[in-house]
Amino acid sequence: MTGSLDSDLAHAAALAGLPGMTPVRLARSLDGFTPVSAWSAIRAGTHPADEKRRFAPAARTMDVESVGHGYVEAGIAVLVPGRPAYPTALIGDPGAPAVLFARGNPGVLDRTPRVAVVGTRSATHYGRQVAAELGADLAGEGITVVSGLALGIDAAVHTGVVRGGSTGTAPPVAVVGTGLDEVYPSANKDLWESVAGTGVILSESPLGTKPRPGVFPARNRIIAALSDVVVIVESHLRGGSLYTAEAAARRSIPVCAVPGSVRSPSSAGTNALLVDGCIPVRDATDVIVALGLVCAGRGEAPPAVPPRSRQTSGIRHEPTVAGREMKASQRAVWQAVEDTPTVFETVLLRSGLSTTEAALACEQLVVAGALVEGSGWWTKA
Amino acid sequence: MIAAIPSAVLIGVEGQPVHVEVHVSNGLPGFTVVGLPDAAVRESRDRVRAALLSSGLSWPLRRVTVNLAPSGVRKGGAGLDLPIAIGVLVASGELPVDAVGGMAFVGELGLDGSLRGVPGTVVLTEALRGHRLVVAEESVTEAMLASQADIRVAPTLAALVDRLTGRQSWGSATCGSSFADRDGRNGRDPGGVRCSPSSTTDLAEVRGQLFPRRGLEVAAAGGHHLLMVGPPGAGKTMLASCLPGLLPDLDRETALEATRVHSVAGLRLPPGGLITRPPFRSPHQGASSVAMIGGGSALMRPGEISLAHGGVLFLDEMGEFPTDVLDALRLPLEEGEVRVSRARATAAFPARFILVGAMNPCPCGEGGIPGRCRCSPVARERYARRLSAPLLDRFDIAVRVEPPSFSELSGRLPSESTAQVAARVARVRHRALVRGVGANAALPVSMLSSVAPLDSAALRVIERQVGSGALSARGVHRVQRLARTLADLDNDGDGDVIGEAHVSEALRLRCQRELLLGDQR
Repeated sequence: MTGSLDSDLAHAAALAGLPGMTPVRLARSLDGFTPVSAWSAIRAGTHPADEKRRFAPAARTMDVESVGHGYVEAGIAVLVPGRPAYPTALIGDPGAPAVLFARGNPGVLDRTPRVAVVGTRSATHYGRQVAAELGADLAGEGITVVSGLALGIDAAVHTGVVRGGSTGTAPPVAVVGTGLDEVYPSANKDLWESVAGTGVILSESPLGTKPRPGVFPARNRIIAALSDVVVIVESHLRGGSLYTAEAAARRSIPVCAVPGSVRSPSSAGTNALLVDGCIPVRDATDVIVALGLVCAGRGEAPPAVPPRSRQTSGIRHEPTVAGREMKASQRAVWQAVEDTPTVFETVLLRSGLSTTEAALACEQLVVAGALVEGSGWWTKA
Repeated sequence: MIAAIPSAVLIGVEGQPVHVEVHVSNGLPGFTVVGLPDAAVRESRDRVRAALLSSGLSWPLRRVTVNLAPSGVRKGGAGLDLPIAIGVLVASGELPVDAVGGMAFVGELGLDGSLRGVPGTVVLTEALRGHRLVVAEESVTEAMLASQADIRVAPTLAALVDRLTGRQSWGSATCGSSFADRDGRNGRDPGGVRCSPSSTTDLAEVRGQLFPRRGLEVAAAGGHHLLMVGPPGAGKTMLASCLPGLLPDLDRETALEATRVHSVAGLRLPPGGLITRPPFRSPHQGASSVAMIGGGSALMRPGEISLAHGGVLFLDEMGEFPTDVLDALRLPLEEGEVRVSRARATAAFPARFILVGAMNPCPCGEGGIPGRCRCSPVARERYARRLSAPLLDRFDIAVRVEPPSFSELSGRLPSESTAQVAARVARVRHRALVRGVGANAALPVSMLSSVAPLDSAALRVIERQVGSGALSARGVHRVQRLARTLADLDNDGDGDVIGEAHVSEALRLRCQRELLLGDQR
């Protein structure tokens, strides 16, 4: 026997698990009701939020106790407003989830300040690199980093946080769209485990919820509501991360964006945000400065700005190869490769080298750590 | 009275000698064919009768029995018309037996008594060596390829009878004359044949595409199979059509094999008869696996892979081919021939060719460009899986083909022509022959260390790739073969050690599944 949930939490989980339940309906069902009283009203068909009695038949056949057991056995905590574990940042939020599920240690949600770093799933090497740096640097400064455990930018952010894991590092926080037993996308399985191991994964979807469109934009509001600042690393012109930006703006949470090449489709959304007046972010220091304003406004002590010289941190200088200056062919290749992914054909056209010379120079630059290659595309490291 | 006339039918790419025995006896007038004839042979009765009558010869109003020996073999095609007609004439006493002594006949008859050629005359002639063979005028070139002497020709049945009985002299059978003024022999050409070099493109017409050009050159020089990945309209088809022009002439044996296959399939042969230039076949993705591999029930027809023997098989939109058709290519790619087995017969067709595949990088065609392609990783994965891993493994080279950008191209010098590249290719091919293999792609693993030794810098490059898990042991051998071809193309010396540059280039050219998957970690 692993113990069981108390009656309120078990009923809250059962309510969330009713077929056809949505976050909005769930919030309405629990408005003015305790989970136990809401449950019995729905069963009896007298609940004012369930006039059509669509949930009554399912509620009559559902065994609340076994639902509660399921969560205990899966090691998943059920958080409801009014209980101490429920994140304080969400109390009073207009879109706060009425029931929240957590895997890992929900206690890490008490740490402030918190910064959301999110972005597109279809990211470039540049975006992933900046995201990973932001994740590692912010967490290293003791700032809790919140993201969405999706492919691309989100995965890079969490990887940065988890990899940077030293004693002073803030633990990672993830908010996902699926049920906590449904790892999606499956490529992130290991990352999912390490986030749950050191930090916490939150979801408002009950166990067994499969990935479907709709759950992901909905969770973006939770990411925004949990954070003091939202940073968007890369986003397409109509990317899902713009929902997060919108949700943050509605809550008067500052939105920062990382600038990208004006030719890169995956930076079109973030560049547009900058034009609209969002705060540009080059590195963790810029985020911390933005955070300082937020904290000062709340009367809290702002986080210390690290003494690192920011002028050089994001800027790329011409690399050396094995400690020496680049050879002519290497420089030609280096200059031919853009910040956005460049195909080998373009390298050949711009450098004017033969395929043999260019291939050799590329190989040497990869060894020197100056270039990276992924499925035929070249980017500066 | 009885007559036995030698002839032959096709089984796969082999000729099977057949004796056409005709028996004419008293009884109710009738005509029966026995000995496993197919529909075309059974219908010959009506053609033969009409041809005899319109040639001013008489049809015996007696009982005629035709037996095709050996009677256990299925016979098909209209080539038995002529031997049946001659048999009937001999058996009914219209022609003396001596007139046809030592002679064999192959040909189809028109209702007006004219003689027409049949597919596979090359191999039929080979099967009838030792006979004086009578064929239709249009088949002379093919027949002369197989045996230089003893080919006799007649335009019509009436003329043939006159020549057999000595009332007219045999004209000298000349080679090639009948081809020049004739196109599409009696509609037997099913179309879709692209005979090189007329339909191939010259490399000088291709602007830019530096990397794919190099890929083509290496594929031609080393006989490596080539996969081109790129969005629609990037020029993959144009590039592929340059490849046959880069290949050297076929050697005599391959030329004969290719000619035999084309003859059996009833395709047009070039003037002179012998196929000396590498063929280029590009079947549509709707091709069935029988059309691709070869087969058919009675008359086994060679498939596209055999028609491409010695040349190039180009599969455009490779992802759209049914997977079973693609996977059926695997064994022939390994063995250089294909054995087609049916209930009634088994046939082996030659099938040594360079496979060139073209494919979009992902369903949206955008090209898996990181940050631009919006296909989900799952959709991209599913698209890439249409080429099974073992098939993908057969490709030594894979190159991305991007649509040319005009701003990058302007002011560039004209590209090298096919002739310039072909000269280098020929040199590399020759060097492979000296090593005892047809092309570097066929170098056995046991020879690699002696024939393609790597210097220490090159070994370091390889070790780094193996260490990072990007290269398997099998991959190392393929990179080594590719690097051998690259070094052969650039160096004049012989038995040289391969350096770091050529290994790096081989790594760029080598085929990886990641190329299809896009930039995903």
